[in-house]
Amino acid sequence: MKAIIIGAGLGGLLSAAKLSESGYEVEVFERLPIIGGRFTNIPYKGFQLTTGALHMIPHGPSGPLARLLEDVGADVEIIRKKPTAVIRIPRKRGDTDYKFGHKDLLFEDFKMPFSLINRMKLAFYIIATRKNPPSEGSFYEWCKKHLDQDWTYRMSDSFFGWALSLTSRDVPVEEAFEIIENLYRYGGAGVPLGGCKAITDALADIVKANGGTIHTSTEVTGILTDNGNVKGVLADGQEYISDLVISDVGHSTTTGLLDGVAGNGDIRKYIDETKKLKPSAGVKICLSSDKPLIGHGGVLLTPYGKRVNGINEVTNIDPDLAPAGKHLTMSHQCVLPENLARLDEEIELGLQDLEDIFAGKEYEVLLIQSYSNDWPVNRSSSGSDLTNITPVKNLFVVGDGAKGKGGIEVEGVALGVENTMEKILEH
Amino acid sequence: MKINDNCVGCGQCATFCKFDAIIVRVRASMKDNCTNCGMCAAYCPVKAIEV
Repeated sequence: MKAIIIGAGLGGLLSAAKLSESGYEVEVFERLPIIGGRFTNIPYKGFQLTTGALHMIPHGPSGPLARLLEDVGADVEIIRKKPTAVIRIPRKRGDTDYKFGHKDLLFEDFKMPFSLINRMKLAFYIIATRKNPPSEGSFYEWCKKHLDQDWTYRMSDSFFGWALSLTSRDVPVEEAFEIIENLYRYGGAGVPLGGCKAITDALADIVKANGGTIHTSTEVTGILTDNGNVKGVLADGQEYISDLVISDVGHSTTTGLLDGVAGNGDIRKYIDETKKLKPSAGVKICLSSDKPLIGHGGVLLTPYGKRVNGINEVTNIDPDLAPAGKHLTMSHQCVLPENLARLDEEIELGLQDLEDIFAGKEYEVLLIQSYSNDWPVNRSSSGSDLTNITPVKNLFVVGDGAKGKGGIEVEGVALGVENTMEKILEH
Repeated sequence: MKINDNCVGCGQCATFCKFDAIIVRVRASMKDNCTNCGMCAAYCPVKAIEV
């Protein structure tokens, strides 16, 4: 059996590694000269910056991605150190920003700023919602009804902004509670030693060791079908034939490659569905400093930032991600679709946040990276993902455009790949 | 070198530029020391750099 994979991002490489381990002949096509998609390192001024992700695995060494990496035999180490998450709040009650100082709360203590009545309600909801997860509307709407307090919105926007690049208004309540459940189940974030590239390179090594091929600088320009069955791909003007095709370029781009079969009713319906998918946007600001700005390897959530949702300092776990004696700190902020037109102001607000959050500390801005449209944070915003199957037989879609339920970022990618592999390998 | 509207400002081009000739904020733009070598275009994930 032969499998062709379009795109050497995390989803494509996970699929290629798993199929090559399962005896498939695997051929991967990547348009860019480098593999890894938005999950690899780019060296810059001696720092290991990234093409997208923030060198962090949402559920560390015990989540779905770590499980899949272990399953395919990828040689990577994901380190989780306490604290995995800390919340920065203003020093004085009543302050609404960090200008007059701050204090840090452990994530486990996020209940403290709630009113007494809301703390009691929360204790009840934590149990009740695990038994009967809510299912209508957005997480924001649920909070409005059940825990209406400024702190609720700040915390949920900071957490979901950091984790999904969405505000609580844009997270469906089912997806939000599935994510919360996964936090209990799998635990907090960790950093892969060597950064994102350690993972994507280890996967590529497995593919190659199993006799698979990875073509870089080779663009797939069409998906070949025959009677509703996938037949292969067209790359660099040449036909490549396979038993199945896995696309790691999202549903929308995949339908664009399917030209010529649009007459089929199911496929027309599928194309219409993909048009509704909305990518999520965000800005990452990379900082360099001599002294640590955060001082631990967990996430610093910033619910009182004007724009910045959270920050990490990965060099507290892997010092090799920066030149000797330097630290690499990266902030993330969600960008709402309506604010994309004024991205410069969004970035300016993010930079101001960092000045307040790290007041009195010295740092330098290395690079400001923004993600939207065709190179987004997520090809489909969490909770709106389509499944991994398509109406074309043996054509599957993986990656951040087809994440599994409740999976934050790359955990969702891993869950989607697991679902796909079950479907393919059960035969 | 021309940057078209596809540019999202991801900064990938800047990190591959051998001459430190690309500034990125919102979008990429070339500084005066750009030699038009075209190296960056291959690394752009959204085909935003026209050589």
